[in-house]
Amino acid sequence: MLASDGPDDDWVRRAQAGDRKAFSELVRRHQTQVYRYLLRMLGSHEDALDLTQEAFIKAWQALPQWQPEAQFRTWLFRIANNTALDALRRRKLVEFVPLEDSFDAPDSGPDPERQVQASQEVRQLEASLTKLAPEHRQILLLREVEEMSYEEIGRVLALSDGTVKSRLARARAALIEIHGRRWP
Amino acid sequence: MSPAEKCPKTEALSALVDDELGEPARAALDAHLAGCAICAPVLAEFRQLRDTFGGLPELASGVDFSLLVDHRIAAAGVPKPQPKRQQRRLRWWQVAPAALGGALSLSLGAYLGSALMLGSQLTAQPAALQMAAFTAIPPGALCPALQACKSMGR
Repeated sequence: MLASDGPDDDWVRRAQAGDRKAFSELVRRHQTQVYRYLLRMLGSHEDALDLTQEAFIKAWQALPQWQPEAQFRTWLFRIANNTALDALRRRKLVEFVPLEDSFDAPDSGPDPERQVQASQEVRQLEASLTKLAPEHRQILLLREVEEMSYEEIGRVLALSDGTVKSRLARARAALIEIHGRRWP
Repeated sequence: MSPAEKCPKTEALSALVDDELGEPARAALDAHLAGCAICAPVLAEFRQLRDTFGGLPELASGVDFSLLVDHRIAAAGVPKPQPKRQQRRLRWWQVAPAALGGALSLSLGAYLGSALMLGSQLTAQPAALQMAAFTAIPPGALCPALQACKSMGR
C-alpha cells in the first residue's frame, strides 16, 4: 500500500500497470494546478473544466511514454499546455473572455485603501493577461503562478534555458506594456 | 560609450527577478543597477509585476476531477495504458543453431568456390598439353626414340 503523501513516481508506476485508483490519486494531486493553468490560458471556466478532464485522459493514455527521469508534474503540464494550445487553435480565439468576476482577490492587508488598490491591480493584471499572446501567457503562468524553475518550464514547453530566459523577459515587457495602457 | 550602451539585456533583469542569474553575472548586475537610472526602474517594474502575480486569487474548480476522469475512462472504454513491447532477448542457445548454420553455409560456399577456382586452373594449365595433339608425336603415341620423347617432357 502506497502512502498518499509519497512521491508521484510510485503512483505513476502503478498507474502505468493499469491501476486506475493510482491514477485517480495522481489526478487528485494535480487537478487544482492543471485546472488553474487551463482556466487562465483559456479564460473560461467551462472550457477549463472540459480541458482538465481531457488533459488527464490524454495523460492516462500516454502513461507508457512516461519515463522515470521526467518529473510527473512537468510531464503532465506539457500535456495540459498542448491541450490548451490545441483548443485555442481549434476555436481560433484571438481575444479571450475575461475571467469571471466571481473570483475575488484575497485580503492584502489591514489598510482598506491599499486593499482596494491591490484588488484593482490584480483585476487589471487578469484583464491584461487575457490580451497577452498565448506563448507569453503560458510562460508567465508557469513561472509566476506555478512557480516553475527555468529548467522545468523548458521541459514543459520544449525550450532551451536560454529561450526560456529571453521569452520570459519579452513576456514581462509585453505584459507591462498592456498593463500600462490600461493603467489610469 | 553612453551608459545605455553598457546596460545589460532586459532578460538579465528578468532572470535576476527570478533568482536564475548565476555568479558572477549577478554581482556585476547588482553593481550596475546601483548606479543606473535606466535599468533600476525596469527592474522595479518587473518586481512589481511579480508582486501583483502573487496577489492573484487562488482558483478552485470545486470539482473532483479524479471521479470524473475515472468515470470517463471506464464509460468510454479508454484503453488501459499499453506498455511498450520490449524486444525479446534471445539466449545463446536460441541463436546458436542459426549461427552454426550460417557459419557452415559460409564454409561450404568458400570450399566450393575454391574448388571451382582450382578446377579452372587445372583446365587452364594443360593448354600446352592440349597443343601437344598437334605435335609430331601426339599424346598416347609411342615414342619412336626415347630422346624424342624426352625433349617433349614425357
